[in-house]
Amino acid sequence: MVNGDVKREETPMNSAQDMKNRNSLKGKIVLVDGENRKTIIDLMKQLLEKKCLDAILVPSQVPDTDSYTWLLVQEGSLLDLCDPLPPVMTVQGGKALSSLTKHGEMEANIGALMRPCEIEAVVELHKLKQIDLDHIILFSIDCPGTVPLSDYMRDPQKMAENFKESIKKWGESESLRPICQICDRFSLFPFAPSSPKSSLSQGGADLPASDIHIGLLGGNDEKIFLWPVTQRGKDLLKKLDLSVHDNLEVWESKVEEVREEKLKKRTAFHDEWSTKIKGVDNFAAIFDECINCHNCMEACPVCYCQQCYFDSQLLTLTPEAYLERAQKRGSLRFPLDTLLFHIGRMSHMALSCVSCGACEDACPMSIPVAQVFTAVGDQVQDYFKYVPGREKEESPPLQIFLEDEFGDVETPGDGLETSHGEAKENV
Amino acid sequence: MKKQNVLVVGAGLAGMKAALLLANAGVTVYLLEKESLIGGQTIKFEEVYPNMECATCMVSPIQQDVLQNKNIELFLLSELESVEGETGRFKVKISKKARYVSLVNCIGCDACYEPCPVNLDNEFEENLSKKKAISVPCAGALPNVPNIDPENCLRLNGKKKECKACQEACVFDAIDFTEKDETLDLEVGAILVATGFDLFDIETLPQFGYGKFPNVYSAMEFERLYAQNGPTEGELILRKDGDLKSIGIIHCVGRKEQGYCSGVCCMYSAKFAHFLKHKIHEAKIYEFYTDLCIPGKSHQSFYEETRQKGVDFIHNETIRVESQKDRLQITYRDGNGSDSVVPMDMVILSPAMIPGKGTEQLAKTLGINLDKHGFFNTQNERLSPVSTEREGIFVIGCAEGPKDIPDSVLQAEAAVGKILASFR
Amino acid sequence: MNGQIGVYICECGPNIKDRIDIDKVIEDISSLGDVKTVKRFPLLCSNDGKKFLEEEIKKEDLSHLVVAACSPREHEKTFMDVCEQADFNPYLFQLINIREHCAWMISDKNEATAKAIKYIRAGIRRVALHRPLEKKEIESIPDVLVIGGGVSGLEASLSLAGKDRRVYLVEKTGSLGGMAKKLSQLLPNQGSNLSLIDEKVEQVHNNENILVSTSSTVGDVRGFLGNFEIVIHTDGETSGFRKAQVGAIVVATGFDVFDPEENSQYGYGIDNVFTAQEFEEQIKSGNVLLKSGKPPESVAIIHCVGRKERGYCSKVCCCYSIKFAHYLKDNLSNVNVSELYVDLCLPHKSDQEYFEEAKKKGVHFVRSEEEINVNQKGDQIEVEYHSEGKTDSIVVDMVVLAPAMIPSGDTPELAHLLNIPLDKSGFFKEIHEVLDPISTPIEGIYIAGCATGPKNIPESIVQSQAASGKILSSLIPGEKIVPEVKVSEIREEFCTGCQTCLSVCFYGAIRFDSFKGISVVNEAICRGCGSCVGSCPSGAIRSKHFTYPQLYREILEALR
Repeated sequence: MVNGDVKREETPMNSAQDMKNRNSLKGKIVLVDGENRKTIIDLMKQLLEKKCLDAILVPSQVPDTDSYTWLLVQEGSLLDLCDPLPPVMTVQGGKALSSLTKHGEMEANIGALMRPCEIEAVVELHKLKQIDLDHIILFSIDCPGTVPLSDYMRDPQKMAENFKESIKKWGESESLRPICQICDRFSLFPFAPSSPKSSLSQGGADLPASDIHIGLLGGNDEKIFLWPVTQRGKDLLKKLDLSVHDNLEVWESKVEEVREEKLKKRTAFHDEWSTKIKGVDNFAAIFDECINCHNCMEACPVCYCQQCYFDSQLLTLTPEAYLERAQKRGSLRFPLDTLLFHIGRMSHMALSCVSCGACEDACPMSIPVAQVFTAVGDQVQDYFKYVPGREKEESPPLQIFLEDEFGDVETPGDGLETSHGEAKENV
Repeated sequence: MKKQNVLVVGAGLAGMKAALLLANAGVTVYLLEKESLIGGQTIKFEEVYPNMECATCMVSPIQQDVLQNKNIELFLLSELESVEGETGRFKVKISKKARYVSLVNCIGCDACYEPCPVNLDNEFEENLSKKKAISVPCAGALPNVPNIDPENCLRLNGKKKECKACQEACVFDAIDFTEKDETLDLEVGAILVATGFDLFDIETLPQFGYGKFPNVYSAMEFERLYAQNGPTEGELILRKDGDLKSIGIIHCVGRKEQGYCSGVCCMYSAKFAHFLKHKIHEAKIYEFYTDLCIPGKSHQSFYEETRQKGVDFIHNETIRVESQKDRLQITYRDGNGSDSVVPMDMVILSPAMIPGKGTEQLAKTLGINLDKHGFFNTQNERLSPVSTEREGIFVIGCAEGPKDIPDSVLQAEAAVGKILASFR
Repeated sequence: MNGQIGVYICECGPNIKDRIDIDKVIEDISSLGDVKTVKRFPLLCSNDGKKFLEEEIKKEDLSHLVVAACSPREHEKTFMDVCEQADFNPYLFQLINIREHCAWMISDKNEATAKAIKYIRAGIRRVALHRPLEKKEIESIPDVLVIGGGVSGLEASLSLAGKDRRVYLVEKTGSLGGMAKKLSQLLPNQGSNLSLIDEKVEQVHNNENILVSTSSTVGDVRGFLGNFEIVIHTDGETSGFRKAQVGAIVVATGFDVFDPEENSQYGYGIDNVFTAQEFEEQIKSGNVLLKSGKPPESVAIIHCVGRKERGYCSKVCCCYSIKFAHYLKDNLSNVNVSELYVDLCLPHKSDQEYFEEAKKKGVHFVRSEEEINVNQKGDQIEVEYHSEGKTDSIVVDMVVLAPAMIPSGDTPELAHLLNIPLDKSGFFKEIHEVLDPISTPIEGIYIAGCATGPKNIPESIVQSQAASGKILSSLIPGEKIVPEVKVSEIREEFCTGCQTCLSVCFYGAIRFDSFKGISVVNEAICRGCGSCVGSCPSGAIRSKHFTYPQLYREILEALR
């Protein structure tokens, strides 16, 4: 498969018709008291009050400003600052959680409420041993997307309004970030049977990494849907005396409906971008305006190195060597290795890229970093049948060796000459 | 008993492995080899089962280690003359033939081969290629230093006493016609016999048509034919040219006559099929066996893999090779007693492993017994599989009986274990 | 930097001299900044050459040495030895192959010269970044832990134990001897003398240098060749644990047998259907009898039970099945014996004769495919088999099943404890099946006997003696161990603790320091293969002597 001909796997269970033929998920439908936000906050408060959790990490508004940050809340009343769905993503949740758990062990149980792409980043970081999920309860929530950070900071009030509008239309808003507009993983997909991509999983449905998912779609601001994904999630709801016998059919079919729309958009996105990123020249053109600030790297949740190779001294040369290079090409651009940095980062991150868009928000030059990474990342992930953030226990593809992997690469066409000078058989 | 010198007879894989392990323990090893090079039979193989690894690549580091090891003294073109004394103080006499080329001065540039006027059959290559009276047997031979065959060198055999073509071509002053054969006396504490095997003479069985039909090959001929460093550089150039559509590999040639199964032929025959399937996709490969002897945990999967590649394994009771209208054919009888005929373009015969040439003489020299098949006898009431009845003398590898490479290596290590334990 | 690099070009007789313009090379190289001297010599590997080089190193007070000559496979060691002779750290030296790579490959002299210059320049750039690496010496303990008290473990213990070497023999059951003790007799080519096993057990018990722990298991193992720390847990009367230090470990945990109940076609459970092990016991008791108490008039021995399920031939079953036939023919008059086999596997030189003797005694050998059905038929048993496209059956009084040998039950657990791999059949995996069949990726841990796969008794003994050979050769009392010098190292400040390196290290040389949150290389175990270097996403690991800067400078110069 080449040139961005990427399609998210279509499985037989994906059509709305098939959905009706299966048993609906069981969960708890909670009636909204006032607004969604308040209902969710009440839920969190109860969890703290009943000592189900020792603390909760939630996105919250910074008092007296328009900005948002992460708060590790232990005192229930402070949860009033919380906004489960802030209009912008200032700091990716994966990054926040990583700094919380990276060093040392923890006895306390901590909840974390995040968008699906943040949960995915958390799972990737868990695989890379940057987050210890042992005592973390993850809450995910249906996400309509966010507005671009720069737009928001220019006019917070207006963009907050636009964001509220977009929630009603579920992502059908030009105000949202381009990467959010094509996001097909805005919710959890319990009904997707083990997709063909999950060649590494043990069979059965993919296990979403979240413990409890909060469904908003189809609730019309009147009800929210609580789906306990894991046993831990079930136990937690039980402690809140929430029985999980309600059918979540309404939510499910709405999610599927939106997802089908989004999938179409994502396919169109790949059609568009496949030519834009083709070849070194096109690729270089995209990053022409890069000023080498490395903000994209700083913002990226899965770019986790202590010190970036490109910030180290390993690539520096002597003045003599630079002059020689300049002589060869006529000129030499400074700062150096801009393109090499992006290609290098891409080679590290493409497999784990969860298309969260943090890099693009962080770029002062408005380079569509997230879109490039998604255009490439989807292709690379497809090669390995890998979905980042899918399963906690799955190893990243480059950490494992499968004998029958990439047979078509090893023996293209009529076979590659081996060191013994004989053609390998086509598999 | 204190740490003593050890004599290892035979520098094949088993002998080399034993020598290195002993040397590593600080023991001085005299390594005796009757040929001009080390490595034994293993270096003739292109690949070894079950992982189809390149044999040369596996063995050449070991050869290099042997050549560079300070505790190993190598005697090439040498044979054991006599052994006296007993364990801990054997007095041995060895005869060393002149090489006529200095191992120190020669750098293996091969400038001397070309000028030599003598052309000879190359026995190392199963006579599939020619060599000069001064030469190494094959590319990559170690030590990479030629020797002069005194029987065929015109100067040394007296036919043209003034010839010094090779000497003139050598700028390293490595050739010395005056070198003499010599006899050396050594004292050793233990003797390790690793003289290897030979192959059953298939010409004695006319039903297989070897020698009569050009495209009937012995297994060893085939090994060399497909070796990259062999006479055809790995190309399947047959004695009689023609399409290769159908190839038969016959197992157990000589099993009945010898009275034992050699234990390795089934596997290397399957290895041949592997190779042939790679080389000529469309060719039909048949393996004719009486019993599949594929012992060990990984051999059966190799066999199954071979079958999956489309190789036919056919059980037979009797079998013969004939020629029909200029094409070979194999006639075999199956378990039900019915006969079938398959036309063939090439037939490979897998002969039994038999005791190495000179085993009988060596047994006399060493004062140890042979078994009824002519291999060195190590069967004893002590359950000590590498020991002989003469204390201090051990037999390892195929000198003791047919076996595969890992078993030979293990015996080498085992004998070293026995020897080092006795030095305590 | 102001280096003092010496470059020496070997003419290799005419080999390099005639095909490369050495004067031109010298002219070019001499202009490089850090080069102190460039010289040529007719043959550097000759004794004169080595002496010349040694004197040059001393005389010119070199900081680094480059030799342009032949392949490192040929003479790298030679020149490293020269360096040591000259008291010059051999890791400050680089050999450039201008013979095989240039002179012998390129017919055009100008092109060959140009390539040689590039290679040498690249080598000079590289060598300037070389740091001296020092050999370390580690004290080692000569004692050995042997796990498993069967034939293999006994043999290993006896050949290793001595006045300067103690052996800890750990056996999980209450007594020594293992599976061999359950046999009725050995095969003729094994000496037939079963009392040998008892003798070996006695010798082990009487050897004051062998510390036997029965009803015991190994609880913990840490360390590396020469310095393992082990804990032995003992159950039963003397329960408790003992700590010890050993230099090497021999794993001789033997095998189990395939359970024929796994597949109903073998009819195990029907009266008078026995496994080979049960039959051995009957022979041992001297009474081969049917349930009814009568001796059998007809017996079928079925080979290859479990072969198709396990996917391999167990090597020994044909021979012991023939042993059963001999016993029956020798001890029961008029008994009818049939052997149903798929292939006769008789790989030892004396096996075939044993088989032919059985045939002479009137044993029926029946070739059958693997599909065999054993069913009750009245008081008797019907064995249905397929051969050459036909289905046939025999009716017998007794059936003996020869089941496949399988890995012993505690194999996976032990593999985990010792950090050594298993193969796809579940046996311990050798580091190299062909060339090094008893070693594991962990230096100092060896596997002997059936723990690596099916074997007969003499083969198991050979394996144990081989393990002894390896240990006696490498772990000499009083001598120190010199580990690999060119190892990997992890720079703490870069390590993110993702532990990818742990998953790729073949030798188990890396551990995770959970306190610091970083990975740590044990230099005594590391062999410098570089897998971890390539796998580290943060570039935190470097291979001494193959650092990124060294390689980059070399490549940059070569590609300039």
